[in-house]
Amino acid sequence: MANFHRLPVARGRPVRFTFEGAPVDSFAGETLATALLAAQVGAFGHTREGNPRLPFCNMGTCFDCAVQVDGRGLVRACLTDVVEGMVVNMQEIK
Amino acid sequence: MHDVAIVGAGPAGMAGALQLARAGLSVVVIDEQARAGGQIFRRPPEEFGVRHGQYRPYGWARDLIEDFEEHPLIETRFRQTVFGILRDPEGQISLAVSDGQRGTRIKARRVLLATGAYDMPVAFPGWTLPGVMTAGAVQSLLKSQKLLAGRQIVVAGSHPIQLILAAQLLEAGADLAAIALARDLPGFLEMARTLPAIPGNVSIFTEALRAMAVIARHRVPLLRRTLISAVEQTGEGPLRISLRKVDAQWRPVGTAREFEADVLALGYGFTPSTELARQAGCALSWHSAGGGWTVQHDDNFRTGVQEIFVAGEQTGVAGAGRAHAEGLVAGQAIAHSLGVGADPLEVNRAQALLKSSERFAGVMQTMFEPNRTALADLSHHSATVICRCEEITSGQLEDALTCNPFLTSASAAKLECRTGMGVCQGRYCEGTVAARIAMHHNTQIAQAGHFNAHLPVKPVPLGAYGDLDH
Repeated sequence: MANFHRLPVARGRPVRFTFEGAPVDSFAGETLATALLAAQVGAFGHTREGNPRLPFCNMGTCFDCAVQVDGRGLVRACLTDVVEGMVVNMQEIK
Repeated sequence: MHDVAIVGAGPAGMAGALQLARAGLSVVVIDEQARAGGQIFRRPPEEFGVRHGQYRPYGWARDLIEDFEEHPLIETRFRQTVFGILRDPEGQISLAVSDGQRGTRIKARRVLLATGAYDMPVAFPGWTLPGVMTAGAVQSLLKSQKLLAGRQIVVAGSHPIQLILAAQLLEAGADLAAIALARDLPGFLEMARTLPAIPGNVSIFTEALRAMAVIARHRVPLLRRTLISAVEQTGEGPLRISLRKVDAQWRPVGTAREFEADVLALGYGFTPSTELARQAGCALSWHSAGGGWTVQHDDNFRTGVQEIFVAGEQTGVAGAGRAHAEGLVAGQAIAHSLGVGADPLEVNRAQALLKSSERFAGVMQTMFEPNRTALADLSHHSATVICRCEEITSGQLEDALTCNPFLTSASAAKLECRTGMGVCQGRYCEGTVAARIAMHHNTQIAQAGHFNAHLPVKPVPLGAYGDLDH
């Protein structure tokens, strides 16, 4: 399992959202990808064959980091900034 | 209506925008990231309380970013995606733009595509496992989000930027299990001989040497002529990364060595992001050392579509210095095409930068061109995934090629076995598919051609599409 951690630098104010119903604590200025990786989420979604996916390119080209945000599908977590109260779920069957 | 719409706020887009704004033209710049800089100058978000990141060794980056951000004639739209270039019945060109929910059309008299490049994908057994990431991903998480990917990391690739990434990771406290470079270090000695002769590029060489010193101090195994061969993982255990010794042609010699890590960072080169140029009908040409398919243009960086210009990595991946110079020249050419002449001193300065960056780019490209055949060979095992979106395997592609002897193009392979039909729209399999077709038919990769790009060049919500009518 990947082991992502925040470096000790100044960040924005605390931002809380949910992923698959569980609260995730993050900081303003972070992307959803960063917040979920730092929370040690094991998969942002699964392929149609059920294989887990985590961010691969972190620059918006691969779509492996796609999640569902407030009901909208195929949202790239690496290009989406965290917002208080966001409801985030895994992207299934990409 | 804007005079000019620019896609991409990296060195090329920023330089072009400034030239145009200084000529008194109205400019809008659209970028998917949160701030200007492009991938090379990714910096922490505003909310972290810092304006700038670390731009070493590009001393000019800071001024460029500040001038760009402060110019009143430059309008910026961040966190927005240009998903197509449209032409209405009257011939007016516009960009289709999505903010992730709604769509808009941005009309402009000219368009500058400065969309940069992405890490070249390489398919091998296990490349889709969580924790296998591009070097650009690991580096941008570190530089911009201040997130360290993994405690234990293996860095594998062939591009000199891998050494700089390795040093950055070590300085951030990572434990590097190994650095595997497909080529021998003499590549870097050649660089040492060549680069000081090129004015203005010594600092880049100094940066690579500095990285080597950091790596040596941390006693990280630096494996030369060593190529990735496979990654395996049991349950949620560590990645087991097999690295194999290769000869000068990157052909395997001897057995693989296994290393354990949380993250594998891959960097075998860069692929220009040409999807908008393709969709708009600009002609491409194959230039392997320049990253593969590049956009054709004239001396003024004008493409075959008269309103559309290009600058930066799409003309051949050549780094930030070259992109900056091309952005300046393209900006001046666009202004000229709109009837605004540039200051002769500025023109001379831009041409001088273009000339010096050309020599440097040529040296870098020749020295660090990826061995595409050897990399495509890594995908041969029948269970290896070629298309990571649709999960099309090497075996399925090979079957399609065997059953259809006249299947000789990447586009035909896409129609036959769906490789390239997923959400990344072929960006991560096109190169492998084309190389495998070339190997199957014993022809050149360029002959297999490229996938076509259609509107939308990136998936956007249906609503964003509908909004284009308004």
